[in-house]
Amino acid sequence: MTEIRYHKRDIAKLQLMTAVALFLHGKDLSSVITLAGAAGNILETLVRNEGKEPFVDYGCKVCRELSGKMPKRKSYLYYINTKFGVNQHKHMSEHDPETVELDLDKMAVDAISKAVLDYIKLEGQKESFVNAFLSWTWKNMDGPGIMDNFMKLPKKLKNL
Amino acid sequence: MSTRKYKRLELAENQLKTAIGLFVAGADKFSVITLAGAADVILCRLVLNTGQENFTDLLIREFSNECPSKETRASHGGDINDLCHINDLKHMDKGDDGFIDMDVDECALGAILKALANYVRIGGREKDFVRTFLAWVRLNLDPKKYNIHCDPNWKPSK
Repeated sequence: MTEIRYHKRDIAKLQLMTAVALFLHGKDLSSVITLAGAAGNILETLVRNEGKEPFVDYGCKVCRELSGKMPKRKSYLYYINTKFGVNQHKHMSEHDPETVELDLDKMAVDAISKAVLDYIKLEGQKESFVNAFLSWTWKNMDGPGIMDNFMKLPKKLKNL
Repeated sequence: MSTRKYKRLELAENQLKTAIGLFVAGADKFSVITLAGAADVILCRLVLNTGQENFTDLLIREFSNECPSKETRASHGGDINDLCHINDLKHMDKGDDGFIDMDVDECALGAILKALANYVRIGGREKDFVRTFLAWVRLNLDPKKYNIHCDPNWKPSK
């Protein structure tokens, strides 16, 4: 046995890099979602530890503005991890059916986006895997259209 | 982008296949552990759904034959996952200093072996990724320590 000391910051980065590499090479999307989900869970805590706002906390504020009610962080995180397919890839209880409906293409993009946004808050945008993913989304997810829609939002939503 | 129905076995199989691909290629072992761990949660349940005992149950039964124990499936499964640091690689609690001491190669091997033990109960040994991993095992592991030929009567050398 050769034990080595690692930090979760480095482990999260490696898992996210692997998720992006698998995604950009067209490999298994279930694996992409699981790895991005694992990295995202660690990055969220690291971002908060640095006094910054992780994706989940920002999402809670968007919900509050849209519905008038602030969701509990834990409930919102569970909702997001189900919406992005993370929970369905790492849990199965006794009463769950043996099939599940998923949009793996969309979930993989969403799961990586969440983790990459928190990664950028910690490390900035200098890494090539981050830029490769952002370039892919700009070209393939209608980046200019998304920015146009964002600019049309009311000021209070843009400046949360 | 569109929604379609997937078998959970397919989701687990694909994750295990990626884990083995990364492992034999010498790529990121942390990702191997996370993927094999996620696949195994699904496989454990699917094995039980077929009416068979899963790998965790088998270990509890074998150990309790030698030394009676009240260990449950959940507690023993949790202990095995902790040995491979599966939860450490996907969670970080408030107040956690973030440091982990581990042998990442051993943990990656252990995580795959556990998931594969469950997979073969449902999917058999004929798929290419299973054969690839078993070939890697025969070529790289110590036959005194590991049951490299999957012999049901094998015992480790003392």
